[in-house]
Amino acid sequence: MDNQVKLDSHGETLLRQYHELRPTIEELAQEAYEQLHRAIKEQGIYVTAIEQRVKTEHSLAGKLELKGAKYKSIDDVTDLVGLRVITFYTDEVDKVAVIAKRIFDVDWQESVDKRKSHDLDSFGYNSLHYICRLKTGGMRFELQMRTALQHVWSTIEHDTGYKSNIVIPREYMRQFSRLAGMLELIDDEFSRLRMVLNDYRRQIQALVKNGHLDEVPLSADTFRSFLGLLPFDHLNRRIAAVNQAEIYPVSMMPFLPVLESFGMETLGDVQRFVDENSDDAHQLALSQLAITDIDILSSSAALQYLCLVYVLKNGGGRDGLKAIYDTINGESDSNGLLADLMLGQAKTLPFMQPNSNPTDNGK
Amino acid sequence: MNTVLKEENNDLVMYFEGRLDTASAPRVEADVAPLKESSGHDIILDCSKLEYISSAGLRIFLSILKSAKPKGDHVYIRGISNDIRAVFAMTGFVNLFEFK
Repeated sequence: MDNQVKLDSHGETLLRQYHELRPTIEELAQEAYEQLHRAIKEQGIYVTAIEQRVKTEHSLAGKLELKGAKYKSIDDVTDLVGLRVITFYTDEVDKVAVIAKRIFDVDWQESVDKRKSHDLDSFGYNSLHYICRLKTGGMRFELQMRTALQHVWSTIEHDTGYKSNIVIPREYMRQFSRLAGMLELIDDEFSRLRMVLNDYRRQIQALVKNGHLDEVPLSADTFRSFLGLLPFDHLNRRIAAVNQAEIYPVSMMPFLPVLESFGMETLGDVQRFVDENSDDAHQLALSQLAITDIDILSSSAALQYLCLVYVLKNGGGRDGLKAIYDTINGESDSNGLLADLMLGQAKTLPFMQPNSNPTDNGK
Repeated sequence: MNTVLKEENNDLVMYFEGRLDTASAPRVEADVAPLKESSGHDIILDCSKLEYISSAGLRIFLSILKSAKPKGDHVYIRGISNDIRAVFAMTGFVNLFEFK
């Protein structure tokens, strides 16, 4: 124990009790952590951290030296085990609190919501503290729930010794308070922004679902929603039919920059690109696959052939084909070989003949 | 079809020689098992002497990739011939792998 700490006989008794209970305390920390971790995961809440710690002897001795008389027995020290959940958003603190209430018995006498305990004109530490017990009984433990920004505030506050015995001049306290207010505002703004984005996402999904594709700008989010309609599925199955091939699912998101490079701005543009190029893409795929016995295809095959055909029909030539492969594979000289290969196969196809009527593709 | 597994600069390198087709696939499948069980190593599939790959071979390569990705390990294909590269391209698998 730290030589600096001087305990009276009561404090020494409590410290002895702590030593005797230490294995039990560690088991409690682990069990409480596992229960909480499992429950948060089951609810699908993504948090930045779930932490657990057992109070060290040094820390407990310091506490007992200051206010040991307050505790009749070691059971009265409620933070021997501490759990902490750090969330991204303020509303997730409340969700974690609901989970805690469900899986633990909460001692409401001892629990405190620091978020509600501030005066209207004061800003500072915001965190929700529950004193809990496992449903199976045993010692109490502390559960702190806060956002990442509240955690930042708390950590910096601790680091600067803001709460130390030294009197901090009023102007510095005011600076602290202003920063706390700002963090609280940012926390609220992040939560609000998330709500706005979720609403936007739902609106876009509704537009996609209802087929109003020209009203939906092309972006990673909207393209992902569009893929939910399986827009390339029909062409994939047509291509696969030639060899009775299995379609192996892969992400089609790497093709989004290719579509953007074609100047497509809405999902309507993408749908027209599919409609107007599917037959030619089917021809190009067959020209390659029909002479093989390959019976496995990537689910991005249809989209790949559509892109290749689009480039060829729009005069992109070898450089245009290579640009597609450079985008999806990363730049490499070997992409030129692939471009040559595709160009060689495509040359004989009807859509590449001089008398074929170029269509107004995509946009 | 012959395979040789070596550890080179903390990478696991599997050398393929010959034709990876339906007939040789079951044995190769067994040969690549250590690649799927490994962790913390990038995997290099050296195809410098691979003459042919069938769908069965593609499935083996895909299964190696599938087991490596969740572990954060990379799978590289090295020394591939133009003919075999064409197979990867025409099936749409070319962007799944990293080529050296």
